[in-house]
Amino acid sequence: MKNKILILFLAGLLSAFLPSCNSSKIKTLVITGPGTHYWPESAAVTKQILDETGLFSVKILNTPPTADDEALFNPRFSKYDLVVISYEGGPWNNSAKEALSEYLINGGGVVVLNSAVDLVINTADTLRVSDRSDLEIRIQPIEHPVTAGLPVRWVQPEDVIYKNIRPAGEDVQVLASAALDGQAGRGQRPSPVLLSKITGKGRIFALMFGTPAGENVKSVHSAGYITILQRAAEWAATGKVDQVVPSDFPTAAGPVVREGFSAIDESAAFENLKSYETGKSTKYYTWLQYQLQKANGNEEVLSAYEVKMVELLKDPVSKNDAKKLILRELSWMGTDYCVPAIRELAAVQELTDEVNFALERLK
Amino acid sequence: MSTKTSRRTFVKRSAAAATGIFVIPSIIPSSALGMGGRIAPSNRVVMGAIGTGSQGMSNMNDFLALKNSVQFVAVCDVDSSRLLKAKERVDSANKNSDCRTYGDYREFLEKEKLDAVSIALPDHWHGIIYTEAVNHKLNVYGEKPICRTIRDGQTIVAAVKKNNIIWQTGCWQRSQAHFRKGAELALNGRAGKIKYIEVGLPDGGRGIGTPPVMDVPPELNWEMWLGPAPKVPYRGVVHWNWRWILDYSGGQMTDWAGHHIDIANWGAGLEFTGPVEISGKGVYPPEGIYNAPVEYDFLCKYENGIEMRVANSSRLKMGMGTTWYGDLGWIHTDRGNRLTASDPKILEEVIGENETHLYVSENHWQNFVDSVKTGKPNIAPIEPAYRAISVGLLGEIAMTTGETIRWDPVKEEIIGNPRASRLLSRPYRKPWELPTI
Repeated sequence: MKNKILILFLAGLLSAFLPSCNSSKIKTLVITGPGTHYWPESAAVTKQILDETGLFSVKILNTPPTADDEALFNPRFSKYDLVVISYEGGPWNNSAKEALSEYLINGGGVVVLNSAVDLVINTADTLRVSDRSDLEIRIQPIEHPVTAGLPVRWVQPEDVIYKNIRPAGEDVQVLASAALDGQAGRGQRPSPVLLSKITGKGRIFALMFGTPAGENVKSVHSAGYITILQRAAEWAATGKVDQVVPSDFPTAAGPVVREGFSAIDESAAFENLKSYETGKSTKYYTWLQYQLQKANGNEEVLSAYEVKMVELLKDPVSKNDAKKLILRELSWMGTDYCVPAIRELAAVQELTDEVNFALERLK
Repeated sequence: MSTKTSRRTFVKRSAAAATGIFVIPSIIPSSALGMGGRIAPSNRVVMGAIGTGSQGMSNMNDFLALKNSVQFVAVCDVDSSRLLKAKERVDSANKNSDCRTYGDYREFLEKEKLDAVSIALPDHWHGIIYTEAVNHKLNVYGEKPICRTIRDGQTIVAAVKKNNIIWQTGCWQRSQAHFRKGAELALNGRAGKIKYIEVGLPDGGRGIGTPPVMDVPPELNWEMWLGPAPKVPYRGVVHWNWRWILDYSGGQMTDWAGHHIDIANWGAGLEFTGPVEISGKGVYPPEGIYNAPVEYDFLCKYENGIEMRVANSSRLKMGMGTTWYGDLGWIHTDRGNRLTASDPKILEEVIGENETHLYVSENHWQNFVDSVKTGKPNIAPIEPAYRAISVGLLGEIAMTTGETIRWDPVKEEIIGNPRASRLLSRPYRKPWELPTI
C-alpha cells in the first residue's frame, strides 16, 4: 500500500517535471483536406498553435479526395481526447458522422475551425463571405471558460466573416460576434464567430474567423485568434481552461500580430524592452505592467522586478524611450533602492521631466 | 432699479455702437456694479470662456441659447484657430466685434472682470486653472471630471469653499427629468434597500498606432497645451484624442465617471462620501501610443454595505448607464431618455411629501445662471462632482497597482499603502505648480 502511494506520487512528480511527456498530453486529431481547403497550411498552423501550449500531442489527418466513402474515411475518434475539424470538402459518409456524434455524446471534445459543421451552424444556408477587413470582435457577457478574462472588445486583423451565419439551434451559445471594422452599429448585423455547445458529455466549440488567404496571414498570427484557439482546445478536451490570458491579447485599440505563434518570452521581455523606442511595439511594456499588477503588492516580487528595472536604467544599450517607461513604473512601485540610479539619469536632458516626475513621487 | 434700466439701455446702445454712433468701452459685470456681489434678475450675466474646443463651444452655445441671460465678452484658448471661431460666435451673438481674446489664461484672469467663467479643458489642466479661477473670485461653470488626480480635486474643493463662489459642474444629466426620477425612486427605496449598483461607461475606442513626430501647427501653442504634463514631441494627439493618454486623462472611464457614477451616487445617498475598499482590473492596449485602459472593471465597497461595480459597458448586461439593485428590484437609467425597472409599476410610484425630493433643474445652464444671480445653491455643486470622479480615480489606482485599495472617505486618504498613495497625485512639470488656496 505504501509503495503504491509512493509510485503514484512519483508519477505525479514526473508529469509535473516532464511537461513534454506525451502520455500526459491531450491526444489531438486535426482533420483537414481534401486538399482544396481554403489554405493549405491551415492544419500545420493549427498544429503549431496547439504545440505552443505544450498541452497537446497533435496528429494531422488529411481526408481522401471525397470523404463520403466509408472504406476510405472512417476515423477512430475514440482514440483521441480532442478532434479539430478544419475542413472544407464534401459531406462525410454517414458512418463517420455517426461516429463523431457518438464520440461527442461519450464525452469527446471537438473544435471546429471555419468549417460548416451542422452540429453548431445551420448548414442549410450557403455561407456568404464578407470583404476582407479588420474585424471588431465583441465577446458577449456570458460566462464561459474559453472567454473568461478576455477583453470583451478587440480587433482581429485582415480577416473575413460569414455574413449570414446562424447557430444550429437554441442549445448553441453564441459567445462572440464580429463586424467589419468601423461598421459596428451601422446597420450591419454582427456575425457569430465563437459558438459553443454541450452535447451529451461532450463539448464542441467553433471559431468562425481566422481565415488567411495566400500571403495574407495576419488573421492566424493574431494574438487574439491564437489565444482563443488554444483555450477552446483545452476546454473542449477537458471542460476547463487553466491557460492564463496573455498580456498581448488585443483590445479595441487595435490588433496585435505575433511574428511567430509564441506568446511573449518572459526571459527575453526585458531585453526587448531595452530597445524600445516610441513607435515600436509597446507590448513588452504592457507585459511588465501586467506583471507588476499581478504581484498584487507582494514586496518580494516587486523588489525582484525593481532590480531588473534598475539594471535597465543603468544598461548603456537601453534607449531613452525605454527608460522613460521604466521611470513611470518606478515612480509608484520603486523603493529607496532605485533612487540613486534615477538621480544618475538627471544629467540626461531628454530624461529630465521623467526623472523629476519619478523623484517627486518617490520623495 | 436705476442700475437695471441703465444696464438695459447700455446693452441696446452697444448694439448701436456698430453703426458708429456710440463707442462703448467694455461691458461691466453686474457684480461690479454695487449689487452686493449679485446680479439683478433682469440683468445678464457677463461671462468668459476658457477652453473653446468642442465641449467649450457646446457649453457656450447652451448659455447663449438662454435668451438675454448671458453675455460673453472674452474667450481664451491655446489654439488660435479655435479662439477665432469662439470670438466670431460671441461677436455674432453680441452683434459687435468686441469679444476679447487671450492665449494665456493667466492674462485672461488678470484682466477680465466677469460675473462667471465657463471652463472646458483637458483634465490635466483642471487642477491649476479651476483653482486659479476660483481664487480670482470668479463663479465657475466647470467641466467634469473636475480633476485628473485626487490631490487636484481636494485643492479645487477647498478653493471653492474658501472663496465662497458659485460653482457648477457640467454634469448636465442631473438636469434631465428621467435621470432625476430614477435617482429619486432609488433613493426613496422603490427598488427596496439598495445593495448593489452597476455603472456602465463607454469602451475605449480604436487606436491610431503611433503617429510620427510632426511640426506643431502654427495656430497651436503646444508648450502651453502641455502645461503641467511632461514635455513630449508633437504627434498630432491633441484636441479630443488627449483622453486616451494617461498624462492628460484616465480614458473613457474617468471621462464618464462624472456622469453615470455621479447619477449612481445621487440615487444612493453617496454624494458626500466615498468607497472604503476598491479592487479591479484594467485592460491596457499592447500596441500604440494610447495607454489609458480600453476596458476596466472594478468594485467599490461602501461603509454601509453597498457595492458599486464600474465597468466598460460591453461587460455589462445592462450596458451603458446606472442600475441600482435593491432587495425588491432594480432601476436603470441612461441617456436617450431611458428609464426602466424590474417592474414597470416602480416607475409609476409617486414620491410622498415627507420623502426625499431631489433638487429640480430643468435646464443645466439656466440653473447656473440663476444660481449666479441669486446666490442660491445649484444642481451640481463641487463636492458631489469630486466624489464621483474620486471613485473613478481610486479605480484607476486599484487597476494600476493590482491591489485592493482601502480608502478613508472622511480623511480622504489611502490606508496603509504608500505605493498606492503616490498615485493620488501626478507631479507637475516645472515651473507649473498646483496653486495654493
